[in-house]
This record gives sequence, C-alpha cells and structure tokens, in this order.
Amino acid sequence: MMLGAVDANASTGAARATDEPLLAARGLTKRFGGVAALDDLNLDVRNGEILGLIGPNGSGKTTFFNVVTAIYSADAGTIAFDGTDITRAASPAVYHAGISRTFQRSRLSLPLSIFDNVMIGNHKRLNQGLWFNLVRRRAFTAEFKANFAEAQALVASFDPPLATRMFEPIAGLPMIDRRRIEICRALISRPKLLLLDEPSAGMTHDETQQLMENILGVRDRMAGLTIVIVEHEMAVIERITDRCVVLNFGRKIAEGAFASVAANRQVQEAYLGLQ
Amino acid sequence: MGFGLLAQYAMNGLMLGMMYALVAVGFTLFFGVLDVIKFSHGDVLTVGAFAALAAFVGLRSVGVDSSAVQLLAMLIAAIGAMAILGALIARAFVMPLRSAPPLNTLLITLMLGTALREMIRLFYPDGANPKPFPRLLPNGFVRIGEFNLRLDNVIMLTAGALVIIGLELLLRRTKLGLAIRAVAQDEETAKTMGVNFTLIVLVTFALGSGLAAFAGVMNGLYYNEINFGMGLYLGVVGFSAAIIGGLGNIYGAILGGFLFAALQTIGAIMLPFASAYKDVFAFGVVIAIMAWRPTGLIPEKQSERV
Amino acid sequence: MPSQLNKAAVSIIPGAGALALATLYLIAMLRVESQTTILVLLGIGAAVVVVAHWLGWLAPVALSFQERDDALARLAVVAVVAIAGYFREDHFVLLLLCTVLLYTVATLGLTIQFGYAGVLNFAGASFFGIGAYTSALFTQHTTVPHLVVLLVGGIMAALVGCLLLLPVLRTRGHYAAVVTIAFALLLKTFLEVNDVLGGPQGLKVKGLSMLGWSFNDNIEIGHLEMSFYVSYLAASLLMLIGAFVIVRRLERSWVGLNLDALRLDETAARCFGLNIVRWKVTAFLLGNFLIGAAGALYGMLVGFVQPNSYTFADSLIFVSILLLGGIGNPWGVVVATVIVVILPEKLQAIQEYRFLLYAALVMMVLLFRPEGLLPRPVRSYLPGWRP
Repeated sequence: MMLGAVDANASTGAARATDEPLLAARGLTKRFGGVAALDDLNLDVRNGEILGLIGPNGSGKTTFFNVVTAIYSADAGTIAFDGTDITRAASPAVYHAGISRTFQRSRLSLPLSIFDNVMIGNHKRLNQGLWFNLVRRRAFTAEFKANFAEAQALVASFDPPLATRMFEPIAGLPMIDRRRIEICRALISRPKLLLLDEPSAGMTHDETQQLMENILGVRDRMAGLTIVIVEHEMAVIERITDRCVVLNFGRKIAEGAFASVAANRQVQEAYLGLQ
Repeated sequence: MGFGLLAQYAMNGLMLGMMYALVAVGFTLFFGVLDVIKFSHGDVLTVGAFAALAAFVGLRSVGVDSSAVQLLAMLIAAIGAMAILGALIARAFVMPLRSAPPLNTLLITLMLGTALREMIRLFYPDGANPKPFPRLLPNGFVRIGEFNLRLDNVIMLTAGALVIIGLELLLRRTKLGLAIRAVAQDEETAKTMGVNFTLIVLVTFALGSGLAAFAGVMNGLYYNEINFGMGLYLGVVGFSAAIIGGLGNIYGAILGGFLFAALQTIGAIMLPFASAYKDVFAFGVVIAIMAWRPTGLIPEKQSERV
Repeated sequence: MPSQLNKAAVSIIPGAGALALATLYLIAMLRVESQTTILVLLGIGAAVVVVAHWLGWLAPVALSFQERDDALARLAVVAVVAIAGYFREDHFVLLLLCTVLLYTVATLGLTIQFGYAGVLNFAGASFFGIGAYTSALFTQHTTVPHLVVLLVGGIMAALVGCLLLLPVLRTRGHYAAVVTIAFALLLKTFLEVNDVLGGPQGLKVKGLSMLGWSFNDNIEIGHLEMSFYVSYLAASLLMLIGAFVIVRRLERSWVGLNLDALRLDETAARCFGLNIVRWKVTAFLLGNFLIGAAGALYGMLVGFVQPNSYTFADSLIFVSILLLGGIGNPWGVVVATVIVVILPEKLQAIQEYRFLLYAALVMMVLLFRPEGLLPRPVRSYLPGWRP
C-alpha cells in the first residue's frame, strides 16, 4: 500500500524525458454516499506548466486534490505521477514522491512559529533520527542553521519584512501572510508538483495580485516546478495559467487556454446554470 | 451449573445492566446535545444517592415512618436536587468552555467529578466510610424452581424500564424532546428555528442528572449501601457503555450498558474462584473493543471539511 | 517581546535573581513549622508575584528562562544541592524533596505524551506504580544491580504501555480518555486481587544499594552527619537532570516539531510526510519509560508498594500538575510539582482537603488561564541564538 520513499531530487525521469504528463488521472471516481464528487475523471498535468483548475462550487476541484494527496482514497480509476502509480499510496508517500499542497481552509499550526510551520513542510529533507536529534547536537545545530537560512530566504522572496519575524507565532498574522507561509511550507521541500487550493480566498484584490506575483516569481526561480491552481477569481486564472481544465459534477467539460475555455458555451452554462 | 445459580447470575446481570444503562443514557444525552463528555456524571450519581440518604435521615427524624412516603420523598429530593446541580454545572463550567478545545471540557468535568467526590467524603457526616442505605422496597419473593425471584428487584427493573421508556417518549413525542433532538442534530439550524439554545442545554443537563440521581437511589436500594467512590466506577462503566453503543445514540447506550453487565457476569461465571477478576476482564474487553472500533460499536459519522 | 530577539544576548540576571529568591523562599517555607507563619509566608509570596507582575518584572524573568535556559538549569541544580545541604539532617524535608523530584520526572514523561504528542494518558500513576512494583520484585527476588533495576522499571512501564498501543493509536479525544481510565481501574483491581503481587497489602522494596553501599544507612563523612535520604536525593536529582535534558532536547529538535505537528493537525502533518504511528508510539513509550524509571526509584525510596497509592485519582494528580504548570513547559512542571507536593504537607489545615483543592484549582485554571502558570513559549531550537 505504501509507496517506498522516493527522493524528489533524483527524478525517475520517466515523465521528463518524454512528453508524458507529470500527473495523469484516468477514470478517477470518488463517491460520498450517493453523490459522485469525481466521476470518471481524466486529467493530465503537463510538466512545467501552470494549470488552472476551475468550475462551479462542488464540481470536485478540492476533492481531486484530496484524492491525489490520499486524504480520500479513490473508489475507481488510477493516478500516475512521474511514471509511478500512486493510486493506493498513503499521504506521506505522495509527499515523498514530490507532491506538495496548500489547503482551502488554511491549515497552519497557529501556536507554532513561522519557521516551525515552514519546517513542517521540509520533513523529508531533515534528519529525523532520535539519536541525531537528542545526542548529536553539534550536527543538529549545523543542520538547523542551514535550513533556517534556506527557510528565511524563501519567506523573504515572498515578503522581506516577514522574514525578520521567523520566530513569531502564526496566530497574530493577517490572512495574506498566512497564505504566503502556507505556500512556503509547500515549497521548502522542492516538490515537483505544487497544488494550490484557492490561495486567494479571504484576500483583497490587491493582496491577490501580490500573491500571484510571488507565485510567478517562484516558478521562475524554481526550474521545473509544475503548479495546479484552483481558483474562483478568473482574473488570476487568466493572468498566470498556461492552460485550464474546467470541471463540472466531477467531470472534465472543457480544456485549453483560458480564452477558449471562457468562450465555451458548456462552461458558461455550468457557471450560470443556463439550460 | 444449576438453574438456581444461573438465574441468580442472570438477575444480577440484568440489575447491573439497568443501572449502567441509566448512566450511559445520561452520557449519551450530554454528548448528543453539546458534543461534550461530562466526566462528572458518575459523581453526580453519588451526590444524588447521598442526597436521598440525607432526605431519608431528615424524614425519619421528623417522624415519617411510611416506606412508600420515604421512598417517594427521597426520589423527589434526589432527582430535583441533581437536576438543579446538573443545570448549574452546565451553566458554570461547560458552556463557558464551548469555544475552547473539547479537551478542556473533558478535563474540567473530570476535575469537577473529583471535587464532588471529595466534598462528599469530607463534608457529609462520616462520609469517608460506606453508609447503609435503607431497605424501602417490599421484601417478598416468588419461588421459581431453585431460584428466588425477589420482588424488589422486579420493581426496580420495571421502574428502570419505565424511566427509559418515559425518556424515549419525551424525546420522540413531546415538543421539548423535539427541541432537544433538533439541538443535538444541528445547533445553528435549531437556533434559527427559534429554539432557545441555552434553555434546552440546561434542561438536557438537568434531565441527564435527574436520571443519574434515579440510578443512584436504585444503586443504594440494590446494595443497601452507598459510598463516596461509587460514582467513579459507575461513571467509567457508564461512559464505556455509552461509547460501545455509539455516543449520541440512546439505544446504543442501553445496549452498551447491558453488554457491559453481560461481560461482567460472564467473567464472574468463568472465574468462579476469582470473581474479583471480572472487572479486569470487563475493562480489558472494553479496551480491546476500542482498539477494534475506535468510535464504538455503532460508529460515529465523521465529517470534517478538508 | 519578539523584537528583543534581534537585540543583544538576553541577560541571565533576571532569571538567576528569580531563582535565588525562589530558593530562599522555599528554604524558609520548608524550615518554618508554625501554621500562622506559613500562611504569612504564602501571603507574602503571592503578593510579591502580583506586584512583580504589575511592575512588569515578570516578563524579563520569563525571557531569561526562555533564552538562557541551559545556564539557569545548571544554577537550579546548584540551588537544589544548596537546599539539600541546608536540610541535610532533616529526614522529612529530604523525603519531601525526593518526592518532588521524582514526581517531576514522571510528569515530564507525561509532558512528552500529552504536552507534545497530544496522547491522553490518565493512567500515569499506574505506570509509576508498575515501575515501583518492578523495583519490589527485582530487589526482593533477584540480584540485578539496583541501578539496572531502575532501567528495568522504565522498560516494564514501556512494555505494559505496548499493550495499549493499538487502542491509543486508533482513538481520539474522549474515546482515547476512556482507554487509559479503564486501564487505570483495571490495573488497580488486578493488583488488589493478585496474591502473587502482594494483594492490597502490597510488597516491600529493598532500599537502593550500589557497589556495596546501602542508601538506607545514614551518611557520616568526618564530622558531618547526614540523613540517608541525601543519597536518594542525589539519585533523584541525577534522574531529573537526565529527564530534563531529554525533554528539553526533544522539544528543541525536529522530533519535537513532529510531535507538535501531529498534535495540532494530523491530516496536514500526514500530507507533509509525517509517519503518525511512529511518532505517537515513540512519544508514548519514551514517556512511559521516564514514568516507570521514576516509579522504580520511588519504590526504593519509600520502601514499599501497594495498589492504593497508584490509583486513577493519583493519575489525576499528575494531570493536575501538568495543567497547572502549563502544558508543554518543563519549568512549569517543576513549579507546579513543588506547589502540589509541598503545600499540603506544610499547611496541615489543607492536608485533608488537598484533592479537593487541586481539583478546584485546576478548574479555575481551565476557566481563566488555560495555558497554565508558565505558558509554553514558542520553540527556540538554539536558546540564545540570533540569526
């Protein structure tokens, strides 16, 4: 059931060498009671792209993320990531394979500091041995300092003032800072695939603009990073995505560049409920 | 094993089951309505039993000698006093902690139980020692083969069953019961429908605590003795029973209560020379059941928005 | 407070000053017999704390302890030695101090389980008792060196804890509470009915002896005569130092972070690679080990063990200490243990009422100051370090 630990930095290469999609869902189905949140979904995520995942409320976008990251298990279908089948893998294994995410309802540990929260995302790159942590303090100190520098730099790339407050608890920070930190948490482990679930929720127009600039900047700096972003603000989708996939009732109803998707009659009907 | 002995064990089991079920139903009521575990429930039972005893002593000193009157007065005193106590506990300790992590409510009621227990031990005259509880039910029995079917047991079982049926009727057939079920199902919607949330919570706690008092009196009548620590044990058993049956589910609580009593009886029968181990056996089974079904035999439906 | 992190190194003086004052206060409290004087002392102590809080003096002390923790811990050890030296001939006070030290070790074990990993353990006293019973059995029936017996006590507690692993791992919240409460009741009944383990009377435990030297003999060094309890105090102090170091380093490491992560949000933690089972088991077993080892030494200290001393009510005392002191803060545990153990012994009037008082106190804390007397500060991996 568990996928063995895969080192994100040593790419299996399967997806990168050819034009195989990085993430491929085939016939993916997830039911809750009588409702099919995902209904025989086929979806490809291409290497290096920023893919927008849109659709009306309840169309299955977050459920898709949850199934990919194994919070829910699929009832039918397969998911392949970088050449490996991860359909039955558990959440920790999906993370180790190189998929990282943020949550629609920001899930940060409020009593913990900014640094702590970012480090939670860095789990696979830290030495977790009990002996190392309790006894080999000099080695631990070195690892701590190195990772602190890296975390600070990452946070600074989003918002320099925030990086001077690395040991402040999250609880007092405004929404936009929390979103930034959540994204840093997802990025610190240098994932291959980043899943962003409505990062602009709860933010003003300007804050959303800033955040999107940050995300674009990150993509430029982290070569090879692929992003799937769920969003309701169409301006964001239009601006930063290369391609879009539109879901409705758990199925894909349209795919392509934003302009073509926005003009698609079926998509308009899905959003506006026209018959 | 002879019929007589078997029947005796069975009767013991039924009596215990009834008492556990009464306590378990209380737990499940509180959980259903407020999603809280009121760990002090068992100790409210003890206070109820002692309240009844105090009423008895008071009545006797005033010259009231009729068993029936005494019993009636004791029940009214105990149930009334505990209903008030239950509502007070809800108001002072449970409702203020609704926004805190649920763990805090668990802990505060745990401590409250300790406080109640200690207050009995310290402030009731000679509270540290077991106190004899009067025999107030008729002494007769009916002979069935080798088995003496005691009338007082039959009365208590019947009374317990009536109380549970009464509770069911209250919940299913009355407006109050409807309000309680509404709040248990969905607090927000119930409030928007005009249900006075605070009042219903207080009433529910009063109801559950009254039930505990009844169970406490029953306990006293059955064993002819009460002591300050009886609630702790009964509380844990009642809680285990409620969990086994599935929290929030009245039928489950009743099932759990009788199941636990059955476990103890089986344990006692299987180990006749070491019947003290029956508790070890029963609690061991509870732990094993929790390992197998972490939210009880009738599982809780989890719905967490991710 | 956070802005001060960027300034020069935090001074140790406030913390050291507070420590010195507390030591003197404790010595006075332990020395005095008259009930009225004790009440007066209590009043003075409370007043001092209130005034200091009002003058804003408590914050520098807290910061001092947060940042200069290691040095202050060493000073605290010196303080304990000083107190022990002062009371070197007083059996009663030394016994009390040993009890404080060993209860602190046990509660530090609970801190790992409950404070960091969020694993509820309402059978702390039961595992403490398992350590003591192990001590009894091994000292009476084997020739295993007593220091090893202490280790075995810890291991036994961890092993018995393994019996509960499956239900502890699979349950949450109040369901988890039932598991350990049921176990506490189960164990007490088991010990009481079991004649092999002495039944309700319990068993005797041989005093600690090491390399031929028995801890139960009074000590004479030249003209200096000391109570035999001094040896136990030394052993208890060493055990506490060990436990304190383990807990501190655990919290100030990636392991501590893992435990916090899984306690605060298990789903998110799993999405970032955390193996929940591994860390919950580690926390539970390590915590039990500390509890058991402390229990083993405690058994030797008091010389006997019986089921009535390790009941569910006693487990609640440990939980009360945790809640009172501030969950997750080892210094809070120390302070709370001192209060909970020493106060009822000195104030004879409240001795009888102590369970009631603890319960009432914890209820007040939960209602008005749930973070406890010494709230847990934000994790600081290298105390005193500046980026």
